[in-house]
Amino acid sequence: MAEIVRCINPTGISKVIETFPLASRLDTINGKNICMSICGEPDITIALEKKLKNDYTNVNWNVKKTYGLFPLPLTDEEFKTTHAVIQGVLW
Amino acid sequence: MPYITKLEKAGIPTVIVDLEDQHQMVKQTALRYGVPEVRYIAASRILRGEEDVDQFIEPMLEMLTRPLTDKEKASGKWVPTTNDRIIFEGTMDEAEEFFHQMEYIPHPVNAPIARFTDGLPVRIPTEARVEAMLKGTSHKPDELIVHHQDPMRGARRNPFAFQREGRRPSRSASPEAAAMEGMRRRQGTPVEFQPMGWTATVEKVAACAVMAGCTPEYLPAVLAIAEAGTFIGSTHTFGHWLCVSGPFAKEVGMSSGCGMLGPGNVANSTIGRAYEIMARNLGGAIPGVNRMTSIGSPFEGSRCCAENADGLPPGWEGINEEFGYKKDESVVMVIPHVNDGIRGVQFSPGGYRAFQKSGHGGIARKLGVKGKPGPHNWLEYLIDEFWAGREGAKTVIMVPEMARHLYEYGFKSKDEVYEWLYKKSFIPLGRYRHFSWPDLGTNGWLGIEPTSGKPWKELPDDYMVPAAESPYSFCIVVGGGDEELSHQLSSPHHLGIDPIYSIDAWR
Amino acid sequence: MWEQLPYIAKLEKAGIPTVLIDFEDQFNMVKQTALRSGIPNARYVHASRTLPGPEDVDTWMDKIIDALTVPLIEKEKERGKWVPASNDRIIFEGTMEEAEEFFLQTEYIPHPVNAPISRFTDGLPVVIPTEERVARMLKGTSHKPDELITYQQERRRWDGKMYPKGDTAMMHPMNWMATVERVAACAVMAGCKPEYLPAVLAIAESGCYIASTHTFGQWMCVSGPYAKEIGMSSGCGMLGPGNFANSTIGRTYEIMARNLGGAIPGVNRMTSLGSPFEGSRCCAENADAIPPGWEGLNEEHGYKKTESVMMINPHVNDGIRGVQFSPGGYRAFQKSGHGGIARKLGVKGKPGPHNWLEYLIDEFWAGREGAKTIIMNPEMARHLYEYGFKSKDDVYEWLYKKSFMPLGRYRHYSWVDLQTNGWLGIERSSGKHWKELPDDYMVPAAEEPYAFSIVIGGGDEEVSHQLSSPRHLGMDPIYSIDAWR
Repeated sequence: MAEIVRCINPTGISKVIETFPLASRLDTINGKNICMSICGEPDITIALEKKLKNDYTNVNWNVKKTYGLFPLPLTDEEFKTTHAVIQGVLW
Repeated sequence: MPYITKLEKAGIPTVIVDLEDQHQMVKQTALRYGVPEVRYIAASRILRGEEDVDQFIEPMLEMLTRPLTDKEKASGKWVPTTNDRIIFEGTMDEAEEFFHQMEYIPHPVNAPIARFTDGLPVRIPTEARVEAMLKGTSHKPDELIVHHQDPMRGARRNPFAFQREGRRPSRSASPEAAAMEGMRRRQGTPVEFQPMGWTATVEKVAACAVMAGCTPEYLPAVLAIAEAGTFIGSTHTFGHWLCVSGPFAKEVGMSSGCGMLGPGNVANSTIGRAYEIMARNLGGAIPGVNRMTSIGSPFEGSRCCAENADGLPPGWEGINEEFGYKKDESVVMVIPHVNDGIRGVQFSPGGYRAFQKSGHGGIARKLGVKGKPGPHNWLEYLIDEFWAGREGAKTVIMVPEMARHLYEYGFKSKDEVYEWLYKKSFIPLGRYRHFSWPDLGTNGWLGIEPTSGKPWKELPDDYMVPAAESPYSFCIVVGGGDEELSHQLSSPHHLGIDPIYSIDAWR
Repeated sequence: MWEQLPYIAKLEKAGIPTVLIDFEDQFNMVKQTALRSGIPNARYVHASRTLPGPEDVDTWMDKIIDALTVPLIEKEKERGKWVPASNDRIIFEGTMEEAEEFFLQTEYIPHPVNAPISRFTDGLPVVIPTEERVARMLKGTSHKPDELITYQQERRRWDGKMYPKGDTAMMHPMNWMATVERVAACAVMAGCKPEYLPAVLAIAESGCYIASTHTFGQWMCVSGPYAKEIGMSSGCGMLGPGNFANSTIGRTYEIMARNLGGAIPGVNRMTSLGSPFEGSRCCAENADAIPPGWEGLNEEHGYKKTESVMMINPHVNDGIRGVQFSPGGYRAFQKSGHGGIARKLGVKGKPGPHNWLEYLIDEFWAGREGAKTIIMNPEMARHLYEYGFKSKDDVYEWLYKKSFMPLGRYRHYSWVDLQTNGWLGIERSSGKHWKELPDDYMVPAAEEPYAFSIVIGGGDEEVSHQLSSPRHLGMDPIYSIDAWR
């Protein structure tokens, strides 16, 4: 009869994570204040900004741009008045 | 050392001048060649020539005249302490202790070193496990590991011949190439494991494979690596590097994808590790005794990666095909000596994409293609660094997307890339003479410079010479994930040894 | 990615709908990070690595708008708790053979790996972490088994923020926590002996950062008497195989990254090619070989000579170089000024001591910017001392000065586009805007003199290796081993 061994769990301890519902979507983007939050990848984001501004002229675009990994956060004021955020590009 | 022992045996007394920390290696090698009592004296690593010679010249000459002691006169046989098939018998716990023994190695190590392993835990090679491992090959357990082919099948070496003749080498071995390797590596001759020159059986290789953690289906790859003889750098190396080309990789579950040279994949890790386990056990390589690589590197006993055959652009050959094998044949490329490190990540992945898609960012600025979308030749960005430190052709590992870009740019075959890289390696002789290793490689600048046919010493400083030996000393390996990355290391041909071993021959 | 999702989660929770743009092969990482931030159903759109911007954007523009306007489905409206599959202390119970099978399991990882990856190991055999073995291992420390791994002093993490002493260390990349006992289990698996445990705990304290997209791996070095106490090698081949302590302590980084940190190639560690430096060996500084006036790594970082620390370079970012000169060539150069090195430095016929770093310096910044770590053997350190560098700082300052180059050339590097935030902002040494400076303005390719690092060790053969700075990511690289005894 082979000996039974008990093995200690080498894996990390994960906390219970509270998960949240997503924010309700917009009924339309027209007339809304939408933030384009850009982190690097200018090849995509320059074209994106151009196209969004061209094709969706009824939207109030707020562009916040950085080359780095941390997005430029909305200011307290902007937080109160922004209706949606497009975040890209993630690496 | 073979030469010294030949002289001694012929009745001509000799004395060797070596360096102190190398004494162990001298004694071991002398024993291997049959004259264990050779006389030697240490020179200094740091004293200036004249001072140094002053202090050892008398004792050195005295070694030629002082009469032999009895020990030095003795003839005999040196019998290895144990060549038994079973090395240990006992409980599993006792076996674990046995296989994980250490021995203290004095200067220049001054620390304990594992006797049978690479320093990490091994799977005990019990008879049952080795028997199970042997099912991975049709070769018999007591078969000696021999060379399966003449060296240089698909010869691409003899680089200085290339420089002289400008001719693309043929794919099949020439008699001259085989002769250059010498009789020791001819087809059918037993493989001599470095550095001790020992031989081994299929069963012993299987035991090493068990120890490394391999499963039986990996055994043909491990046998192919064994056929290479576990060369370990004697004084300096960044280690070895292995790559499988052909269907075998997928069959046994190797990774040719994201992180393939990193940890996680059992085949990549254990097959790579087998090199080191065999170097220690079959080759007798002991740090500080006969493997003097001063700092060492994790590349020693490192992973084996696999070529992503599906990632090859049209017209680009796999490593197997480059060496005269068919697409459906499997080989392992053994680079026994990474000689100047590994570089990469000179550009950010986002920077690479901006460069290729629309000609923006640092890479585009340097290449003067601002605002011009690709495909661009990204090698142009790296080329300055290739010969900033020293001479020698390179291996370039690249992800499939980047290989595709080179193809779209216009390189319709790997050879075209190699020829472009070779041309880019030309530098003025004045600069080439600032490298250190060519002092050795050109035998002190005596002899003829291959491309001109003139003596080195006659050429002016602005004469252009190639820093890379030959176009076909370069090597491209396609593999990795989606992030746009390239690593560069030294050529597989750096030591002039045939790097390709058939895995199929060992099934 | 790890920097962006928490912000996105904050927006969603505040009622501001978002959409993310990523690359397809990163999608697992996005989902994992979104879950960790509390919004597992975050909406995202894939961009292309290869299509030029305008074409690319055309193909998914509609999806962006949809993501912001198409009403939520049931799943996306849920609130709840995500409970981890198992946090149990005992992960397996059975015979030893069954335990071996359990711990050697692999799971198939699809694109961009397309191969099986080990679930609990680095791919090599491990020692099964039975209760007995872990109990024995725990004798190597005075810390209690169920103690959480916390920072033993205030320190800066990879997110750039300072964390106070006593805060729980977060294991990278899943931000899980670890106990002393679980670290001991990893140490058993790696093959360590109990006396190695303090070093392993110090490594655990670092969180075992693994780079997300590119790295040559990690690199560790012990400084202080602990190295000799436990039989580490600081001699010939110290970064190579053979020495148990060097090999197994180094290996724990990887075993812990996999288990405590949850790092899976192709899922959340996207380093495209990888390297054997990942999970590599730990070397040790040769304290006896440090020239007079030169400090050990411990002393350089404010510790005493008698204190032991672990230096962790969590991200070797541009490879490792060395062996630019032959050992014989080096000796000829120093002893009598002959050979290639002497020719290049213009010291033909002049005996040393010479500054051999001068020979290498051209190559340091040929590929990219950044300070360096230089590993050198004792003899070569001695030569630098005799040449006139009376302290490591003297060498660092010399190297820093040598790193200055014209801005025109600096702008040909790639990473600096990111680091200077697209050349917006002020260049430090001049106080002017980057964009105002002329191409011939001299800027340092190295961040600062004290980002360089010198490690003395190795055998007698005259060899030097160079790799990237331990400060490359802005993290403090030093962890006290004594704190974990």
